[in-house]
Amino acid sequence: MGNVNVNIDGKKLRVREGVTILEAAEANGIKIPTLCHIKDQVPTGICRVCVVELERSRTLVGSCHTPVSEGMVIHTHSPKVTAVRRVIVELMLTAHTGDCVNDTNAENCVLHNLASDYEVGAPRFNVKVPRFYPAEDSNPYVRRNLSKCILCRKCVRVCASIPGKNILSVGYRGFRSKIVAGFDEALLSEKCRDCGKCIEHCPTGALSAPVKV
Amino acid sequence: MPEKRIVLGNCGATDPNDIETYLGKGGFKGFIKARDRLKPGDIVDQVKKSGLSGRGGAGFPCGLKWELARNAKAKMKYLICNADEGEVGTFKDRYILSHDPFGLIEGICIAGLAIGARQAYIYLRAEYHFLNDPLCRAIAQVKEKGFLKHLDIQVFEGAGSYVCGEESALMDSIEGKRGEARYRPPYPQARGLWGQPTIINNVETLMNIPHIIANGAAWFSAMGTAKSKGTKVFSVSGDVSKPGVYELEMGSSLKELVMDLAGAVDIKAVQVGGRHGNIIPGHMIDIVLSYETCLGPGAVVVFNSKRDIIDIVHNNMHFLNDESCGKCTPCREGTEVMLEILGRLRGVEGAAGDIDALEDLAQTMALASLCGLGQEAAVPVLDSLKYFRAEYVNRIEQSLFLRSYLGEELSKSKEGER
Amino acid sequence: MTKETSSITSGRAELLPALKRELKKNGCLTREIMDTVAGRSGLPLNEIYGVATFYAYLPLAPLGQYVIKVCRCLPCDMKDAQAVIGGIKQELGIAPGETTADGKFSLELVNCIGACDQAPAMLINAKLYGNLTPQRIVEILKSY
Ligand SMILES: Cc1cc2nc3c(=O)[nH]c(=O)nc-3n(C[C@H](O)[C@H](O)[C@H](O)COP(=O)(O)O)c2cc1C
Ligand code: SF4
Ligand code: FES
Repeated sequence: MGNVNVNIDGKKLRVREGVTILEAAEANGIKIPTLCHIKDQVPTGICRVCVVELERSRTLVGSCHTPVSEGMVIHTHSPKVTAVRRVIVELMLTAHTGDCVNDTNAENCVLHNLASDYEVGAPRFNVKVPRFYPAEDSNPYVRRNLSKCILCRKCVRVCASIPGKNILSVGYRGFRSKIVAGFDEALLSEKCRDCGKCIEHCPTGALSAPVKV
Repeated sequence: MPEKRIVLGNCGATDPNDIETYLGKGGFKGFIKARDRLKPGDIVDQVKKSGLSGRGGAGFPCGLKWELARNAKAKMKYLICNADEGEVGTFKDRYILSHDPFGLIEGICIAGLAIGARQAYIYLRAEYHFLNDPLCRAIAQVKEKGFLKHLDIQVFEGAGSYVCGEESALMDSIEGKRGEARYRPPYPQARGLWGQPTIINNVETLMNIPHIIANGAAWFSAMGTAKSKGTKVFSVSGDVSKPGVYELEMGSSLKELVMDLAGAVDIKAVQVGGRHGNIIPGHMIDIVLSYETCLGPGAVVVFNSKRDIIDIVHNNMHFLNDESCGKCTPCREGTEVMLEILGRLRGVEGAAGDIDALEDLAQTMALASLCGLGQEAAVPVLDSLKYFRAEYVNRIEQSLFLRSYLGEELSKSKEGER
Repeated sequence: MTKETSSITSGRAELLPALKRELKKNGCLTREIMDTVAGRSGLPLNEIYGVATFYAYLPLAPLGQYVIKVCRCLPCDMKDAQAVIGGIKQELGIAPGETTADGKFSLELVNCIGACDQAPAMLINAKLYGNLTPQRIVEILKSY
């Protein structure tokens, strides 16, 4: 594969054909936020915070999954893009019933940081019945607090990439979607070991290492 | 313009249980011509020249799609007939499947030849289970006549999900997964079902094929407008005296369809459904129906002056929220928030920022959703705000008044208690 | 029966048809059934559960012998689907989401069933009924 010419935020770049817009931008020092993307894994295009403006496209496009092609003119932080990202983050915070203000770990929360980067305060929106689930402490290796989950599915994917695992899936649909184990039950320790991969990838406080007492 | 029945030409004229009646009306002439006298490339050429565009909603040029699949190099190629018909207010595919299954199967046979597919699926929505057996029997009759030597056709039934009509979700569903949309590119014609080149066409699109092959591309492209060729089948329901399926030449007006044919009077608005549809206010009833203006899968719901616009948009949103696959954030969360706002407005419990919030959400969903469902959800909201903004403003004012009035009453009664 | 059970063949491609066959036999998809399907298909239970809970027509809990699905979308709603639902409620004494005590009927409100030309419309199992009125409902239910 050869190279192609693209223009990102006014910079004329020659990049390898077949890479994604996100990869091309990152390689040239342009930062685009992502929440569901796992480096070097097949993208999923779920969270939509990585959308960018592609000239002559009717909609914005997901940069994590759209390959570059010759002549593309891309804006990663135009007013349109920023406005859309802000609403998406606001939506994530709306359904997010976690008590993050008191969370000592909040500065490690990718969502929290994204919200401050984009100056998203308390969300204006409401939902009839938020997604609330009691926190789950039954597993010695992983504490699950799914009320904080933003359904990025990273945990599902990293778990599935470990041979013999694949113990998490998405259940239900639409707003009621939920990350489920087994028959939507507590994470069983005989299936889940202490690899910690899901905790490492979770962009919020939904998955964490239990506090040792 | 009167009705022009081409796609529906055999509906009612042949017996859907007996292939002989279909053959008696010239059925399978197109297929025999394609098989014996045309090369696959010629078939694709004819379809391209005809200007036929997809009837499932997006209006993508059919011939172009076929050409890409035809030229794709792969051991296996698939053809899928999309009979998931889930858009609220559409029932034309049900009508076609129940009255003229042979016409559809002939279209599939020809498409199979053109793109070199050996396996075809008809993805039938679960709600149409009653059509499954008749369809299978029709396929068996076609096979008996020797028209299916090149292709196997299987009916694959859905399990109750509107988004599975979206082409990428449909393929995931056939693959035994949750029916969730995939990002594109890659497009199905390059990498579709099980990673192989795949063509997905709506029932009505495929119904046109035998006619194009039998009568020639020029005959077809003589009908319609500059960019929308042929006819379109519409499903008309709501406040009309004659709801039903109507076929009109592209470029006919909405007025001819809903007033002259379906008998609507006292029209407040008409919803032409889908991502490429609109809510059209009564005073714009002369609008021309074509892909240049507004046309989805052809769902037309008419509202008379007694209907409440917020009720209408709320009902729309209820459906889309319920059917959202839940994969991408804007649609999963956005439809839920919009439903909350519209529900409050409906119950005269609006708040000052509601219109702004609806607009911001609609813009975001239209621009950033992964598939057409989330994008489609923005349409009724933006259109109703464009044409019926006063109703929203009124409702919010009423809400605010009611709240302050009730507030005063409440504090009065509290004072009385003291 | 053995032929049917053995047709829960391995792999994903057969998953939806297999779940539908099990549904036809058992009326709903229980944990035991999903475990069996998981065993035969080589897919983990969580995956099967994820797929099954996605689709509206794959119930996890038992339903009545006859499932009445009344359309609640716009074209039917405009033609007074509420009166039809009211008629069924009165005749059977169940609300949407409920099953009669004798296990004969369940009532569900569903999204557009593609019969808007005959609104208001409903399905009883796979049979389509259109142009409903509260009076016709009584007759139809009596025929079951
Ligand atoms: C949410 C959603 C639902 C859809 N449902 C259908 C459907 O039921 N039938 C259909 O033919 N196309 C449907 N489509 C359009 C398909 O994605 C696809 O464009 C179409 O099947 C292509 O066929 P055509 O080119 O012949 O129109 C839907 C699209 C979206 C976004
Ligand atoms: S737009 Fe809606 S239906 Fe489409 S992928 Fe996103 S969540 Fe799923
Ligand atoms: S990072 Fe691209 S959609 Fe989430």
